[in-house]
Amino acid sequence: MKRLLLDRKMYVEFALAAVLFAANVLLALFMPYLTEHKRYYDSGAYIVMLSLAFALYTAGVHVTRKKSASDIAVVLFLFLMVWELAYKFGAVQNDLLVPSPEGLFHVFVEKPEEIWQDVLGSLQLLFWGFFLAILFGTFLGLLAGWIPRVREVLLPISNVITLIPPLMFSAYLIMVLATFREAAIAVIFFAVFWPTFQGMVARVSQIDKAVIEAARTMGVGTVGMLFKVILPYCLPGIIKSISKSLRGAFMCLTGAEMLGINLGIGYFIEKYKSFADYRCVLAGIVTVGVITTVIDIAVNKAERAMIRWEA
Amino acid sequence: MAASEKTGESRVKIEIRDVSFDYVDRKSTFAALEHINLEIREGEFLCVLGSSGCGKSTLLSLLNGLNRPKSGEILIDGKPVKGPGTDRAVVFQQYSLFPWLTVKGNILFAIRQSGRKYTRKERNEKAEDYLRGVELLAARDKYPGQLSGGMKQRVAVARALALESDVLLLDEPFAAIDPKLRLELQELVSSLCAKEKKTVVFITHDIDEAILLGDRIIVMEPGRIRTETDVDLPHPRKRDDLIGTEAYEKLHRKLIAGFYTQIQEDIDTEVSL
Repeated sequence: MKRLLLDRKMYVEFALAAVLFAANVLLALFMPYLTEHKRYYDSGAYIVMLSLAFALYTAGVHVTRKKSASDIAVVLFLFLMVWELAYKFGAVQNDLLVPSPEGLFHVFVEKPEEIWQDVLGSLQLLFWGFFLAILFGTFLGLLAGWIPRVREVLLPISNVITLIPPLMFSAYLIMVLATFREAAIAVIFFAVFWPTFQGMVARVSQIDKAVIEAARTMGVGTVGMLFKVILPYCLPGIIKSISKSLRGAFMCLTGAEMLGINLGIGYFIEKYKSFADYRCVLAGIVTVGVITTVIDIAVNKAERAMIRWEA
Repeated sequence: MAASEKTGESRVKIEIRDVSFDYVDRKSTFAALEHINLEIREGEFLCVLGSSGCGKSTLLSLLNGLNRPKSGEILIDGKPVKGPGTDRAVVFQQYSLFPWLTVKGNILFAIRQSGRKYTRKERNEKAEDYLRGVELLAARDKYPGQLSGGMKQRVAVARALALESDVLLLDEPFAAIDPKLRLELQELVSSLCAKEKKTVVFITHDIDEAILLGDRIIVMEPGRIRTETDVDLPHPRKRDDLIGTEAYEKLHRKLIAGFYTQIQEDIDTEVSL
């Protein structure tokens, strides 16, 4: 296991992060509330979160060997420590707006089913809107990029439409489409479709002419040219654009969920905002951060695995 | 086999009949080829020699079907050329391999395009045979982006052969390759084409290359064919054996004379303008 060992200097930093982690756990377990009228929550969920973060950091620093991993861990644990101390010493005046870290993470123990359902609901919206947009955007972009007549019709239209923020359609889409769910999917679809379409048209028009001519001299026809030559040629560009458009889709997702749909993590946040339960609002925001990060990392990993050549 | 022996026996494979071609843009029309007539016999290795702008690449683009003649027609086996087709394989000067496919994938693509009914196993074996032929079997799983220029052109040659067409068209394939490697590639192409009995049209601006490879050499001047020369040297030719021999020097002198009077004329017209 020699290759898993860090050099000595990095172990000093690792030790510092470990000490801070231990201090956070001890504070959560044994530090009493020094002011009255503070709500008490079981610290179990918070400690599990701390341990998870530390485990991730330990694995990360040993795999990537980056000094920044230690820096990030130190900043995170320091931040949580300040938060904890401020809360328990009474520096935080408004218990309602700023909960304790224990309180925040306790939401995940209180409402696991609700959060899970909402996350799943969001992902479903995201998947359908995003998946359909990538599929149609790429296909139409492929046709428009290759066939000038199609391009000359669709490109000016898309240039006008992309200037209108997709959430602007929402008021109308709700009326036209049968359910809020469909309206939300449509909003995400339009947010992703036009950029995908335009990106694909640009990629097809930038394709190396020598490759096209070589294919033509080998007797490749129009359909073969589109799907056996141009599509694979553009694939790395398409994959790269996916992670970018995914971020755009996330932006629209929570907005789309505020259309009046009753499922999804955006709805979760909106609901607890109207209950003035900011502990849950914060928990919802943390959930969005975690989910988007996980998806982003997964997409980037997939991207690197799929791209075996560069133009 | 000497070229003169062939002329009597072989039938005509490619016939270029009174072909003209113009490049047209908004402002002007440029006559790239004017009333070209040429016959290429089956199994012949024809080199088309000329300086840049003389229309030699245009001629090749008409043969491969990417361009259509303004007037006249091109017949292959008596049938007019109506566009690109798998009866003619092309090697371009610029690297035109498919970058998303491996070296072997590129060869397999051509084998599939050839339209011949092979099983998966046969296709694999054929692809590896062609790669062995250009001494690149070891690089079969590499992507074109990982290869040097010389290796890329060797793959391009293997891909052209894999189309299994009778006619092979090469457009200055080794112009961008360093001289030492170029020599290797020239000898490789010469022996492969002889082995597979291809009818070859080879475009070049290099006199030595033309003498080394061709059964017949055509020198072009802008828009026209200037001279035709048969090369009566035995195959396989080795550059080192050729250079310094009387036959070689004679040919070289003849070709270079054609070349230089043409260039001199170009300069004269430019000066008078």
